[in-house]
Amino acid sequence: MPQDLAATKLTPKPKTPKRRYYPNGNPEHGYNPEGVRNTDSALPPEPRRPVMHDYACDGPAPGRIAFRWIHGSTVAATNTDPRIQIIQYNEDTFVLRQNVCVHWEAPFTYLLFGNKGALLIDSGATANADHYPLRDTVDAIIKRWAKIRGRTKVPLTVALTSGEDVAQNQGMRQFAGRPDTVIVPKPLAAMKSFYGLLGNWPQGTGRIDLGDRVISVIPTPGAHIDGVSFYDPYCDFLFTGDLLFPGRISIGNDRDFVASLERLKAFASANPVTSVMGGHIDMMFAPGQFYPRFRNFKPYERTLEMGPELIEEALIYAREIQGQDKMLIRPDFVLFNGVSPDQRTREWPEGVPRISVPRPF
Amino acid sequence: MDRRTFLAYNAAAAVTVSGAVAAHAESPDSQGRPIDFKNNLPAKGTFPEKWICGSPSCMDNTDPPWQVHWYNEHSAILRQNKAYSYEAPFAPLYFGNDRILLLDEGYVSLRTNCDLRGIVDDTIEQWCRRNDRDPASMELLVAFSHLHSDHYAAVNQFADRPNTRYMGLTHEEMVGFWGMTNFPEERVTLDLGGRDILIWGSPGHVISEFAYYDSYTQILYTGDMFYRGRCYISFWEPWFDSMKRLIEFCDTHPVTHVMGCHVEISNTGQDYPYGLTYQPDEAPVQMTVEQLRDAFEYAKTVTGPGIYFTGTVFLCNQTRSTTTIDQYPYRYG
Repeated sequence: MPQDLAATKLTPKPKTPKRRYYPNGNPEHGYNPEGVRNTDSALPPEPRRPVMHDYACDGPAPGRIAFRWIHGSTVAATNTDPRIQIIQYNEDTFVLRQNVCVHWEAPFTYLLFGNKGALLIDSGATANADHYPLRDTVDAIIKRWAKIRGRTKVPLTVALTSGEDVAQNQGMRQFAGRPDTVIVPKPLAAMKSFYGLLGNWPQGTGRIDLGDRVISVIPTPGAHIDGVSFYDPYCDFLFTGDLLFPGRISIGNDRDFVASLERLKAFASANPVTSVMGGHIDMMFAPGQFYPRFRNFKPYERTLEMGPELIEEALIYAREIQGQDKMLIRPDFVLFNGVSPDQRTREWPEGVPRISVPRPF
Repeated sequence: MDRRTFLAYNAAAAVTVSGAVAAHAESPDSQGRPIDFKNNLPAKGTFPEKWICGSPSCMDNTDPPWQVHWYNEHSAILRQNKAYSYEAPFAPLYFGNDRILLLDEGYVSLRTNCDLRGIVDDTIEQWCRRNDRDPASMELLVAFSHLHSDHYAAVNQFADRPNTRYMGLTHEEMVGFWGMTNFPEERVTLDLGGRDILIWGSPGHVISEFAYYDSYTQILYTGDMFYRGRCYISFWEPWFDSMKRLIEFCDTHPVTHVMGCHVEISNTGQDYPYGLTYQPDEAPVQMTVEQLRDAFEYAKTVTGPGIYFTGTVFLCNQTRSTTTIDQYPYRYG
């Protein structure tokens, strides 16, 4: 017996390797979705020190648009949807949509966070904060985000895909006088100089540094004279506003429009792009069918995201109608060049099934 | 009962079912004193300074689903709320000693969405209380100006209403409802009980359309064929002939106002594009005979399809399926 005892004393007890403690589950487990490895969701709920998020990741940061967009109601006056629908794409990316019954344009607004600040892209079609409380909504999201990430201050930049577009610049007024806020000026020259593009508009590229998440600013006039697109290298999104979206794209100047799409195409081939995120949806899920202006009820809307291959397609057909006053229907968008926004056509794209959607009440 | 028994002449003469006319004359249970609709014409009335005209945010609209305006004691004009339907049509409700005529029913079909039936019932009850009648004894005629759904969508709400007749949704049923045998030239007279409504065909916007003239207020209701906005003319020849008929009518009959179904123009002549839900500076719905005559003079010069502005209305000659007036505002160099 004593020999045995001695033997046990000599051989040390095998130590279990020290493992990190994951209160919300180990993100390395195979059954976790890709995105888990890129989140801070396992952090304690109220950190004492600022949490620096790692925005470097292989491929696009994961995220999901998990819900259907609110789309108005048969009778707009009795609509009970939220005035702004918020979808959290991932922890640092929010997509906001204005209620269709507050304004028929129902624009999308994007809120992106970086380690040093936040960026609001576009500002909605309604200035009245009682009807469209964008400022309060953004403040609430920022407050919540700041709490989770242990920040006391989150500087905000408000930028527009087009300063002149009344479907996107109205909510900007609500941010006037907001502390820690930079508003990109609306006048064309001031906007160019803000992005440092005075000398090289539209070939150059500006940047907005959110802290480890640097948003590129690409001049894309064409729908609007002061149009810009934004590229987010974290989610690999291109925010194109009125230039390219699943809807009725009105062309302000077809030469600029083609040139801008060419620049976007070159940009998309040099940088990874998962989705083109526009400012509105007019298309239905049936190819080539779209809602006319001023509708408050759009139950058959297409999804918001567009694949990057649609840049190429838009470019081909923009070239086709360059110099002509006409409209052209494609499955995912419609181009209006030099015609009324209510223009109609009897031409239907070849090979595209023509599905008439049922009429709502 | 033959549906044409309420027609005073022309069609009523063609009724062969004996006793049908007599059976319906002067129902004994209408209590109040008969109202005189034949003297001191035209009966005075007023249009509102401003109709309900939508709101910047539709979901924050606090107006009623329909505005009920009493033009005078015996005539109401209804207007649908733009936040319930962007078409926002107008709908006259004319009261006679025996029956009531509702012209147009708006663009929302379900009662749960927009309760036109309840509103009309309330309005009728109001009038009956004022004039000492029993609402149940008043027959309601639910008709419409023309065969487009923004004018008949709510007809179904009246399907179960007692003592009510409503127009069918085909051309034949519409023409038959008024007992016409020679559309569009034939002019029939509807007797609401001492109050005559003259009705004749007015095709052009669509084929199945009528003009209604109320002999009491002397308002000429021209539907969508001529209104303060974009008169979408689908068929030019019939439309032009209909205009001719309207002018001839104005030559021979006193007309106080010409009234259409919609307003799509501001009081400065600006076009409100199709589908707009807020029209803050809307032009009045009523027009003068002079404006009708001017438009007719202008129409004489129109030779082809296109959009023409007469100073009062836009004549959109065969352009509906091709183009509109307004332009993309952000076009540049």
